Amino acid sequence: MISEYVKETVKRGLVSLVRRRIYFIMMVVVPLLGAFFFLELIKSGSVEQAPVGLVDLDNTALSRNLSRHLAAMQQVDVIQQYASFDEARQAVQRGEILGFFFIPANLSDNALGGHHPTLSYYVNYAYYAPASMQYKGFKTITVLANGGIATNVMQTLGATGEQISATLQPIAVHTHPIANPWLNYSYYLNASFIPTFFALIILLVTAFTIGIELKYGTCKQWVERAGGSMGLALTSKLAPQTAIFVVVGWTIQWMMYRVYGLPLNCSPWVMLTAMVLFVLANQAFAHTLISLVPNFRYGTTLCSLVAVISFSLCAFSLPLEAEYPWLASLSYIIPSRYYFLISMDQALNGIHPYYSRWYFAALLGFTVLPWSLMWKLKKECLNPVYVP
Amino acid sequence: MGKKLRIGGWFGDILRVSRKEFYLSFHDVGVIVFFVVLAFAYPVLYALIYNPEVARDVKVVVVDDDRSELSRNFVRSVDATSEANVIGYAANMEEARKAVNEKECYGIIYFPDGFSAEVERGQQGDVVLYTDMSLLMRYKQLLTAMTNVQQTYCSHIMLEKLPAMAGSGGAIIESREVPIGNTGRGIASAVLPAVLILVLQQSMLLGICMLRGGSRERRLRNGGRDPHDVGAAVGSTILGKTITYLIIYLIPSIYVLFIVPIMFSYPQNGNPIEILVFLFPFMLCASFMGQSLQVFVNERESTFLVLVFTSVIFIFLSGISWPRYAMGGLWHSVGNAIPSTWAANGYILMMTDGATLVKVQHHYFMLWGLAAAYFIIAYCVERFICRPRYKRMEYYDAKDPGSLLREEARRNGLD
Repeated sequence: MISEYVKETVKRGLVSLVRRRIYFIMMVVVPLLGAFFFLELIKSGSVEQAPVGLVDLDNTALSRNLSRHLAAMQQVDVIQQYASFDEARQAVQRGEILGFFFIPANLSDNALGGHHPTLSYYVNYAYYAPASMQYKGFKTITVLANGGIATNVMQTLGATGEQISATLQPIAVHTHPIANPWLNYSYYLNASFIPTFFALIILLVTAFTIGIELKYGTCKQWVERAGGSMGLALTSKLAPQTAIFVVVGWTIQWMMYRVYGLPLNCSPWVMLTAMVLFVLANQAFAHTLISLVPNFRYGTTLCSLVAVISFSLCAFSLPLEAEYPWLASLSYIIPSRYYFLISMDQALNGIHPYYSRWYFAALLGFTVLPWSLMWKLKKECLNPVYVP
Repeated sequence: MGKKLRIGGWFGDILRVSRKEFYLSFHDVGVIVFFVVLAFAYPVLYALIYNPEVARDVKVVVVDDDRSELSRNFVRSVDATSEANVIGYAANMEEARKAVNEKECYGIIYFPDGFSAEVERGQQGDVVLYTDMSLLMRYKQLLTAMTNVQQTYCSHIMLEKLPAMAGSGGAIIESREVPIGNTGRGIASAVLPAVLILVLQQSMLLGICMLRGGSRERRLRNGGRDPHDVGAAVGSTILGKTITYLIIYLIPSIYVLFIVPIMFSYPQNGNPIEILVFLFPFMLCASFMGQSLQVFVNERESTFLVLVFTSVIFIFLSGISWPRYAMGGLWHSVGNAIPSTWAANGYILMMTDGATLVKVQHHYFMLWGLAAAYFIIAYCVERFICRPRYKRMEYYDAKDPGSLLREEARRNGLD
């Protein structure tokens, strides 16, 4: 008997998948295109070569030497030299350059005369990532300028190379960024945004699949065909979608870790399993949300809001502990957060899965969640009221 | 005379469409949520998430094989910075790694044996910083803390050795960084202006598509005809609706563009009138774009499916988190075709960097160009796709009454 019910509802789920183009587009085309978009966009992994300007009012051998160094920098790309501060400032306002290096008049004379002249660099912090890149590049030039002069002075005093560097920098800090020595931006952005984007699609499609039954009042028949069991009706209607999403998710992982070479420092099975749990967790999460507000539009609105806000809320750039606690606590109820933590622990850092145990448990926990609200959805399904 | 009447008729159509669109918009809770509630609530929610701007007191553990006064003082100075927080000492690297794996801290400061002895001998002493890289900001903060402390110690030691050379802090040529525009260097002040523009565009697209979904549903129930259809020509319909949306958006856009920056003290260096003039073609673009995209929406709720994900793509194309100069040719061109790209960058240049309208004329002309292009697309979509579809719906319904609803049910998996 039960197998009969399962067959009926699975068929129902499959038929709607085939008959409406929107499912194919949203479940297969959009997630894959989205993953391709992010991977391709940030392929290089760094924002080097920020377009900047140069103002040289000194025009001596020293300043020209600095400009040459600046032109050779990786971080910035000097696209134009300006005759005055005002001209450069206006080029920033036109959006042509993102900052400029300012060499004041009489730099050389003042430096050699011991008057401590100042080199300034103006950085447009309206564009955040390039701004820190420029800071790095400009700062290096000023250090070089000092180092050059200091080395000259000390050499005339008869110091050796080693002594010079020990005098200029008696303590050196060596940085070892664990697992990402190249500071590749793509490792974060793609590891967080692609799954969250996929989660958005899963949430919306699931909400749409349930909601459409509510909207057209077909939900009564749906539950009846499943022998009156809401749980059975849901699981078997959504099972075909789970299968498709898992395959799409695996394809996305294949693109990330194999085609675009993001680090995978753990056994592939760990991430493949995580993807299955991630898909299930998101489907269950959508259930829960739509069961809370059993109405097509409210449910979808809630899912959209949660999905879009999770890009910011899940602390992919600003750490969780820096957010306001009441907002940070919300991120604990979003599956994408746990998948992100798993992928950092496992794929990036390659530590033992033991350390990620709670994240796996949390993803599993999401699949249990909707069962507690099943009665609410069933009540709505048996007496559907469409609220536009 | 006859000519005058025709113009009157055309103009009258626009007004009738516009009036009807007002009625429809304000009688649809879903649309009001998009047009008004979303624009009012979302920027605040978003701003609150990013309001702390930076991470403070990133936790770090110390492994000290040197056990000298210098290393202890160094650690105390690191702990005293606002960026880092030393949670304690670990006996060895093994133990420290375990603390990082358990997320008790996000970095390790390691002093090798002989660190202070090297410094005293006049050689270079090495400190090693290991950081967890799951978030870039934590790494940046730890690095800043370490570099600042290192520089302080370096100039101290240098001063003792070479008093003649050390002017202020040991530099012969001094340097300073001057942040322009976003002078506070806040991440929220950098990202939010673009989000504000996106909110205006996306909320309008969502609202327009939901209105269209509603209209199609009315057609399904009424044999292919929408009782609220005014029956105006294609051009008048598009323009009439646009007038309505622009008027509805007057208050939300003033709130989003000028009040939200005041609430969260983002840079406000632009002339409000010039900004409104600059964004006028942008709002036209959004309206025409919405009326082009409506072809993909068959019921009110599929609006979400079709449009929500585009917000994420559009914000990236605008270049606010990943700069446009670092994008490949393909995505750069796609970005050029999206109104929010030009509007967001222009708005940032005006609002944050204080550019005048003349300075952003390139962005402004691009917006007008896009407005023209999207008008043509919207016209073609309505004229060659939507209207023939309505005709077909009427035809099928006349042939077999009720077939439209039955077909809709069949597509949703019912027999």
